[in-house]
Amino acid sequence: MEPEPAITKILSRPRPQSPNIQIYRPQLTSVLSIANRMTGVVLSLAAVGLVLWLSAAAAGPEAYGAVRGVIASWPGQVVLLGCTFAFFLHLCGGIRHLFWDTVRGFELRSIYMSGWAVVAASVILTMAAWIASLFLAK
Amino acid sequence: MTTKNIIIDSSDQVPSFNLLRRFPVPRNFKVAPQSRIEKGRTWPAPAGATRVKAFDIYRYDPEAERNPRIDTFEIDLDDCGPMVLDALIWIKNKVDPALTFRRSCREGVCGSCAMNMDGTNWLACTRFISDMSPSATIFPLANLPIIKDLVPDTTHLFAQYEMIEPWLHAETPVPEKERLQSPEERSQLDGSYECILCFCCTSGCPSHWWNGDRFLGPAALLQAYRWLADSRDEAKEERLDTLEDPFRLYRCHTILNCTRTCPKGLNPGKAIAEIKKMVIERDS
Repeated sequence: MEPEPAITKILSRPRPQSPNIQIYRPQLTSVLSIANRMTGVVLSLAAVGLVLWLSAAAAGPEAYGAVRGVIASWPGQVVLLGCTFAFFLHLCGGIRHLFWDTVRGFELRSIYMSGWAVVAASVILTMAAWIASLFLAK
Repeated sequence: MTTKNIIIDSSDQVPSFNLLRRFPVPRNFKVAPQSRIEKGRTWPAPAGATRVKAFDIYRYDPEAERNPRIDTFEIDLDDCGPMVLDALIWIKNKVDPALTFRRSCREGVCGSCAMNMDGTNWLACTRFISDMSPSATIFPLANLPIIKDLVPDTTHLFAQYEMIEPWLHAETPVPEKERLQSPEERSQLDGSYECILCFCCTSGCPSHWWNGDRFLGPAALLQAYRWLADSRDEAKEERLDTLEDPFRLYRCHTILNCTRTCPKGLNPGKAIAEIKKMVIERDS
């Protein structure tokens, strides 16, 4: 019997796939895209929390007091702060996508300017919302 | 830090600040057993070299029954040209003749030496060694089957290119001379005809990583736009029919890694947005 040619052996083995996310450098483009996805997930979960809060309010003072206690605790406040930031990041990112849908703002410089604007606006709006709710709403 | 560090004006700008070198995912995240990368060997610089630069380079030998590995090559900068491609050729000539990579024009017009350097895709012939990070890495283009070392199998990418039928479709009789275009009509092709099919963009697109079997990717879609924008082409409807699909076109989520990485400074992300707009205008 003929010995098996080397090439058959090579071709029978699956080729490796070169790495992708394991090595590709995080850039503003990809980081904001994944952040938009992740904040979307966070907001979906936050919507459940919102329903719980409203249900508690409808159920009566006792239930509402319990939920309010959870929200007022410091882990609750951290989660609420995270949700606020997620809301604004997702909102600003969504507006950026609306502009892109009209084929505007695609020059690389514009992409980076709008990207950092989204980050800055989300931070400022989060801070403004918290300052307003902590000090002005008293 | 200046704004130049964070606002990128053109794709040839090498990022100068480094918050994260790579995404915080495990090294073997979604990696098949045969693709897992192992530690390789170090090839020291020749004796007497004073300006030494180390490169971590992806190696895969299909004839050796082992996984891909990372070899470290120390090169003598005083004996080597200025570009990353020069470093690869220096290694092949002087250190390890088995190191395998594609190259041809060495001036950024052929697209052969596209690879992943310091985590982003670019052409090795137009990337300066001096722009590489202290711990420089060279991988093949991301997310492709590897034939050997830095040579990926691009069969699937060219099949996707073929799918958009990159040739003129015209039913009207062939005129006596050429099919004429006004300068304005011709200018519609600027920014897309220059593509050299190096596939830096498609290989750098996360959407194509996850759905590359059905999503056409930025390179093929930029060429789809090139034919949609051609005043001489008469198959716009059919072309849009082929593209209007949840995966082929709409898996583009406007991440824009493509526009950031294009070594020719083209804008696949914008071309895809133009196609989406054409589909909406046609259907409304």
